[in-house]
Amino acid sequence: MTQNIIEIHGVSKQYGKGNRSVVALKDVDLRFHRGEFAVLIGPSGCGKSTMLYLIAGFESPTHGRILLDGNEIREPGPNRGFVFQDYVLFPWKTVLGNVMFGLRRTGVPHREAKQTALQFIEMVHLRGFEHAFPHTLSGGMKQRVGIARALAYDPEVLLMDEPFGALDAQTRKLMQQETAEIWKETGKTVVFVTHSVIEATYLADRVIVMTARPGRVKGIIDVDLPRPRQYTEDHYLHIRQDILGLLEEEIRQSALGTTSTLTP
Amino acid sequence: MTTTPRLPEKTERRWLRAVAAVFWFLLPFLLVGAVWELTIRAGWVSSASLPAPSTILRKAWDLSVREGVLWEHLGRSFYRLSIGYALAMGSGLLFGSLLAMNRALREMFSPILSLLISVPTIAWVPVFLITMGLGDSTVIAAVFLGGFFAITYNTIRGIEMVEPSTIRAARTMGARGARLFVSVLLPASSVSVLTGLRLGIGYSWRALVGGEMLSAMVRWGIGKMIYQARFWNDVVAMFVGLLVIGLTGFLLDRLLIRQLERATIERWGMVSER
Repeated sequence: MTQNIIEIHGVSKQYGKGNRSVVALKDVDLRFHRGEFAVLIGPSGCGKSTMLYLIAGFESPTHGRILLDGNEIREPGPNRGFVFQDYVLFPWKTVLGNVMFGLRRTGVPHREAKQTALQFIEMVHLRGFEHAFPHTLSGGMKQRVGIARALAYDPEVLLMDEPFGALDAQTRKLMQQETAEIWKETGKTVVFVTHSVIEATYLADRVIVMTARPGRVKGIIDVDLPRPRQYTEDHYLHIRQDILGLLEEEIRQSALGTTSTLTP
Repeated sequence: MTTTPRLPEKTERRWLRAVAAVFWFLLPFLLVGAVWELTIRAGWVSSASLPAPSTILRKAWDLSVREGVLWEHLGRSFYRLSIGYALAMGSGLLFGSLLAMNRALREMFSPILSLLISVPTIAWVPVFLITMGLGDSTVIAAVFLGGFFAITYNTIRGIEMVEPSTIRAARTMGARGARLFVSVLLPASSVSVLTGLRLGIGYSWRALVGGEMLSAMVRWGIGKMIYQARFWNDVVAMFVGLLVIGLTGFLLDRLLIRQLERATIERWGMVSER
């Protein structure tokens, strides 16, 4: 039995008004299952990050409703964790201070918060860097802090917005492997945005392919491969072909600019 | 592993670098001083209107070490500066924060703020002389006003320029209201706030000197020292005053603001280290 943790009902998002408006999302219906690793993928500008922002409560849908555990999302809150592409750590706080932030704000006493934060710092392999300031860390290490920070206060859902987009190929691969392990360890529902098919196939239970603007759900591909996964398995490559097949039409369309950005 | 240099060599090098830094800092002063001294000695300029650096330094020695009155003047000035500046800092941060957080307030007050910001502080002093008397309060009010606008303005700018994603991250983790403000918005805007504090102390210091000159009941103070020297035609004492004002302004920045910067925005990597 799968239970839906997030339900997206007929959601549209339009930026601006009149004939200069841009429709980022149009009539999106989606369900996310409790505990699953869902990946949103699509050509750039397809509204996949917008989708994540709506779930985070950073922005509100123009039409439709988004429910988290049956309650409509109206603003950001600690039942969600957000991992940003450009980390958005607090530079004035140490690694420990950053990871403790959410715990303290959700009312955990200082000592307990520190203990929990240290566990998560350990989980992302940053032990020994608790007292370092973010600007002294490499990109990969910063994003480890970002992940530990978003998980430490035990949110229901982890939202990740192209979290490894700014990392070099080697670091990126390592982070993907560790993300898979962390997901297994914590059992969180993850909604992960990427434009890398390899990344999507490696991490996802389900890959949700989105259309070029205005963003719609083009297709959903189940990735029922055993974990831990290998990047080179035959099945793995087949699934990658399926996703690429769906994506290529869209990328071609968005490159040719044939899709209208206007509301009909 | 690269070879680590032996410790004595390292400390020695650091020491040498410090000496070199002091030398390069002093060099332009020494050069200008030498030319100035020569000009007077050669008789190109009358020493009655422009005393030679050697004369000024001797007078400075007399006033500070032999007579000690310089410290009395400086002490009173610092007393006024600390009170006025502390008030400017407290209210500037508070008022700036309020305006930054409340759009309606900001739109209401910003025209007044822009108008007042262009009025030189010294122009207020005659008003204060009438409303607050001829003593300390007038000078302190001038010091306050000098710092207040710079601090307020830069606090508003700083908070306005905090990245939306920083606020989003904080709100996602449950930060709200006053907590969000104190633990995120204020530190995130610290680069601009420190600029305000730096400009503010400069303006406060200048306003102080002007205020002291204009307030008749004020006896002591570095500004008053210059003003009083006029009655004795003591140009040398005036130059000592100018020197002390410049030096103190410089030291306030170096010892106060720079240290604050080092402890905050430089430590946090929010600006490149200087």
